[in-house]
Amino acid sequence: MRLALSIAIITACTIVQAFAATDADAILKRAFDNYRAGSSQTTVTMTVHRPDWERYLEMKAWTRGEDDALVRFLAPAQDAGNATLKLGRDSWVFNPKLNQVIKLPASMMTQSWMGSDFSYNDLSKSEDLITEYTHRVLTTEQTGGHTVWTIEAVPKPGAPVVWGKVALKIRDDYVMIEETFFDQDMKPARRMQTDKIGILGDRTYPVTMTMHPLDTPNQWTRIDTSDGRFNANVPDYLFTLSNLQNPRQ
Amino acid sequence: MLAALAWRNLWRRPQRTVLSLLSIALVTALLVFMLSFQMGVYATMMESTLRIIDGYAQFQPEGYAADPSLDRTIGHPARLVRAAIAIEGVTTAAPRVNAFAILANGERSYGAAVVGVDPASEQKISSIAAMVHDGRYLNATDRDTAILGDILARNLKLVVGGRVTLLGAARDGSVAADVLRVVGIYRSGIPELDRSILEMPLSRAQDTFAMDGRANTIALGGPSLGSVNGALPALGALGRRYGVAVLDWGAMEPALRDALALKIATSMLLYLTLVVIVAFIILNTLLMSVLERTREFGTLLAIGMRPRLIGQMVWLELLGLALLGCAIGFAIGAGATLWFEHQGIVYPGMGKLLAQFGLPPRLYPTLTPLSALIGPGAILLSIAIGGIVPYLRVARLTAASAMRAA
Repeated sequence: MRLALSIAIITACTIVQAFAATDADAILKRAFDNYRAGSSQTTVTMTVHRPDWERYLEMKAWTRGEDDALVRFLAPAQDAGNATLKLGRDSWVFNPKLNQVIKLPASMMTQSWMGSDFSYNDLSKSEDLITEYTHRVLTTEQTGGHTVWTIEAVPKPGAPVVWGKVALKIRDDYVMIEETFFDQDMKPARRMQTDKIGILGDRTYPVTMTMHPLDTPNQWTRIDTSDGRFNANVPDYLFTLSNLQNPRQ
Repeated sequence: MLAALAWRNLWRRPQRTVLSLLSIALVTALLVFMLSFQMGVYATMMESTLRIIDGYAQFQPEGYAADPSLDRTIGHPARLVRAAIAIEGVTTAAPRVNAFAILANGERSYGAAVVGVDPASEQKISSIAAMVHDGRYLNATDRDTAILGDILARNLKLVVGGRVTLLGAARDGSVAADVLRVVGIYRSGIPELDRSILEMPLSRAQDTFAMDGRANTIALGGPSLGSVNGALPALGALGRRYGVAVLDWGAMEPALRDALALKIATSMLLYLTLVVIVAFIILNTLLMSVLERTREFGTLLAIGMRPRLIGQMVWLELLGLALLGCAIGFAIGAGATLWFEHQGIVYPGMGKLLAQFGLPPRLYPTLTPLSALIGPGAILLSIAIGGIVPYLRVARLTAASAMRAA
């Protein structure tokens, strides 16, 4: 009897889960929520790998809601103090050598951010994936005791985006496993992979992620998140131009 | 003997011969002039396009053309520069750093190409130095200076004496930042250029973008495009020794190369039509004269002239006509070309359009052996070949039937 009941409960759960799984929008939103939360404060190391050199950057990042972000570089010494502020669709950079805040022109948004394989667009348009694309679950598979959904995101007609489509793999605890960006010819152009999943703050988190441009082998950018606090109180003054130039902390 | 006969035969009908001569001469003159004009304009077009910034050829790191990133570099550019100008036909080699940066002035910011140049050699290769209309070009003692296009300057609200901020990525991925003093503003009339390029001294660019004394490209110049094209094999060998690629003008400006090839192909079709038409007119006329003279040829055969000789005589008539016509046409065409080579040709109201292609408002034809001889050569050849038809016709004649012909 007990057994039958638990089987029934498990079955019910599975059905509910399967039901939820079909709602690709919800999965994606929850994965983004898991990654960014209502607000976040993280410490991140970025490794930029090139065939003949490798570079490490250490930074502290704050996010507020879906649109606002502040990233401040701590190391290496020559780049320490550089900062990027993103409010809505606009981005500014602060350079301590120039002691000047510069607004990023739209034409620069596709340029590499700090020499990495990420563009400024990656920083500022991350929520585009939710708002400018339509999503559907392609496959549902079981690996390592987890359900993994593969979601295909296709741009809505006329959406101002650069990708032909994006394929995402998301685990049932809403951790992003893999993100593949296809160009307009539907050829895979770059792939972000989660290399390590761990506990960060109050959640399961993709602590190590690597971006591989697929046309240039032996070139990648890895992001290791070493410290994170989520949904904590992030003061509003952080996301202002004056704080970008004269940090209060 | 045969030639003299043929010559006399031609002038038995002076009116017809003169008309034939005129048509050959007209087409020949037209071909000589049109080809010279076209080649002259294309050469000007190529040279003035290449002279804006590309140079007549370039040294580039392998793979740079496909992916021009800052970290594809040429080490020890000075050594390669010295070796390149030692090659006959190459007189200047200008090393460059080609970076990309945000340019800012106060609230305003725009993305632009930042080119680090060696002012002395750059002036000999690129016409941008000559297009500075406000202020001056960079000079050898400059450090923290810059020149930029007038649209870019207007967008950034910059004037000569103002300061422009640069922010970009250096070769090693670090942040490249600099503040430069604007000493000059250029206007090329080509909007893409005037809104997108800032030039600064090479050594400063090498420091700002962590180039460690390296360059991205070396632009090559010489007295003419032809002389640098002639030096390409030697440049190629030099490039292989240093592990860099040499790009000729077509590789740097593939769109221009393809556009010119297409234009040449379509105009060749037109010229070919002209040649074929004139050849048919002349052949038709001669065939008429052969038919008219069938009885006369019969008589010649009857008194013992071999058919082949008569055929040759007819063929010589044709050839004489063509030669004379071509000579007259060549004289007229070459004369007109030479005259316009000095005068130039102005299309009224086309100045702006021509400037878009980097062309001066006054265009000059160039008489070259190729442009002068290709037209007359084609006409002579096609008439000479076409002459086989009357030759065969005459050679088949027999005395009896020919004399009985109407």
